[in-house]
Amino acid sequence: MAEKLVIMATHGPDHPEHVTIPFVMAVAAMASDVEVVIGLQGPSVAVAVKGTADGVNAEGFPPLAKLMADYKDLGGKILLCGPCVKARQIDADTQLVENAEVVAAARFVAEVTSATNALVY
Amino acid sequence: MAIALTDTELAALETAKVVDARGSACPGPLLEAKKGIGAVPVGAILEIWSSDPITKTDIGAWAEKVGHEALGFAPADGYDRVFVRRLK
Repeated sequence: MAEKLVIMATHGPDHPEHVTIPFVMAVAAMASDVEVVIGLQGPSVAVAVKGTADGVNAEGFPPLAKLMADYKDLGGKILLCGPCVKARQIDADTQLVENAEVVAAARFVAEVTSATNALVY
Repeated sequence: MAIALTDTELAALETAKVVDARGSACPGPLLEAKKGIGAVPVGAILEIWSSDPITKTDIGAWAEKVGHEALGFAPADGYDRVFVRRLK
């Protein structure tokens, strides 16, 4: 069975480390031939809005925008909590980065239960 | 898989490719290693330059995970030269 890692993040861009480390781990895992899915819930959905990651810099890490670009280039998907997107009045059709997909709870359950490991930030 | 070569043995290695990841923080050097290893033939050696001190051990963990051979590292002027042999 191929290895699959699901990484769930919940913090928004006002917590640079909490929102950066999930993408650090995702890129490192994909570089190690592990399939990765990132799930964003709560305030973290904001980082999938185009331009939001610009200027988010956690000390000691690459800029969030660079990590998100690397993750996308590696084929990584970002799943967003639908109710969380709606609550923030984010227009899913026009405002989100290209590799983002809005989903609901059942999809998150399916992703996590099919993974070999999961991380939560 | 990791083996420990002496400084003299590391200095004598013939590398097929050098990737310069200096100035890049984790996981940048790892990503450059991933890209670089695919550009060298099986059995050849990739050399990664990194100014991030954690890279020299992290590359070893990565190599073991993905099935390559970490040969060791040699300190240079403000950076480390890390050597990995492609095994597959």
